[in-house]
Amino acid sequence: MNPVLEFDGIARSYKRGVPVLDGVTFSVEPGEVVGLLGRNGSGKTTLIRVAMGMLHPQAGSVRVFGLSPFESPVEVKKRIGYAAEDQVLPGHSTIAQMTAFHRYLFPSWDTAWERQLLERFHLDPNARIAKLSKGQARQVALLCAICHRPELLILDEPGGGLDPAARREFLEASIQLLNRAGSSILFSSHHMSDVERIGGRVVLLDGGKVFLDRPLDALRENLCVALVPKASAADSARLEREPGCLRARSSGEDWHAVFEGEPAAVSGQLAASLGANGIRCFQVPLEELFVELLGGQR
Amino acid sequence: MMQLIVHPSDELPIYRQIMRQIVEAIAGGRLRHGDKLTSHRDLAEQLVVAPLTVKKAYDELELLGYVETQRGRGTFVCAQPPKVKPAEQRERLRAAARKLLSEAYLGGLRFKDAEEILREADREISSGRAASAGGVRREKEES
Repeated sequence: MNPVLEFDGIARSYKRGVPVLDGVTFSVEPGEVVGLLGRNGSGKTTLIRVAMGMLHPQAGSVRVFGLSPFESPVEVKKRIGYAAEDQVLPGHSTIAQMTAFHRYLFPSWDTAWERQLLERFHLDPNARIAKLSKGQARQVALLCAICHRPELLILDEPGGGLDPAARREFLEASIQLLNRAGSSILFSSHHMSDVERIGGRVVLLDGGKVFLDRPLDALRENLCVALVPKASAADSARLEREPGCLRARSSGEDWHAVFEGEPAAVSGQLAASLGANGIRCFQVPLEELFVELLGGQR
Repeated sequence: MMQLIVHPSDELPIYRQIMRQIVEAIAGGRLRHGDKLTSHRDLAEQLVVAPLTVKKAYDELELLGYVETQRGRGTFVCAQPPKVKPAEQRERLRAAARKLLSEAYLGGLRFKDAEEILREADREISSGRAASAGGVRREKEES
């Protein structure tokens, strides 16, 4: 099957000579859930805007369902759902007016599901958008993004500003979409536990490029973090020269380095190569991996 | 109904947490031959995890011989637990026991404490107290 979304060598800068995206290539297959991760300013929102046809790349190409979102915006948008943190909804309309408008736009609109979600989110259809809390407004945006059962759902930081209960409801609705329509999802997030819950694959942006692109389980099970006493290696670069090392950084008394492989094998390799004792290796949750790969003090 | 519980920031990935709890339920006799597992889509909605994650757990359990998926009917607990050669089984358990004991001794516990912990674990597996065996219903009870 063809990918639903393809980025090929996307480059984009806002200031000359300072690329935000510098040749980003990856694709999203049908039914896949891809978590787009990276530090603030790593270009996640920029990339999502390129996919939505809201921002032209300066190099490279984007295809959604095999089409260009710039040349065929209507065909593409009919089949996409989109919600973003900074999305502005029409404040003067009521929730009912907004959903009626979407029902009119999308023949595939699922009215029964709309009612279920309104109830699930405790939303009053007669409430004006401007009167809603930030969290409620995000829930309305999500509802409008999924009730037409899009083939591709694109979410830019869906958990931003939501309390844990509202975030969970958001995830539940996304999982219902996966179950009902077999859709694909691309979402950016800083909530690693949300990514662990619904992510199938993780794409990590760093320095304008794709730094890592792997299935989530492979990331969790094939990578480990080594804690190496400072005395055992001259600097982090020494560790980064070791085969299998992705990144190393300074943290307190130790060097922290992310390695490919089983903890036992990696500690064996390091003990032999550095001739040192006291090296400990662990498999860690995504949140720790994120910090170890992208955290400061190189 | 008993519930499966998943913790996203656990040291085990979510699909392995699901596998472990179902295997414990089978080992503890709370899931028996012929019992039907909740469909992977329903369990995904209950646990709020990706449907493919639950499917992966079920697929792995099937590869290991714990469950069997019948097209169009669902996933069922198998009659025989997977066959492992007794010698192999003992060797694997010995390795796990060494790991358990070294962890206990490093943490300042004694053999007696480890023994007590094993007894507790036994009670948990048999009673399902350890957040196990859920998302699972008995087809027999339904029909």
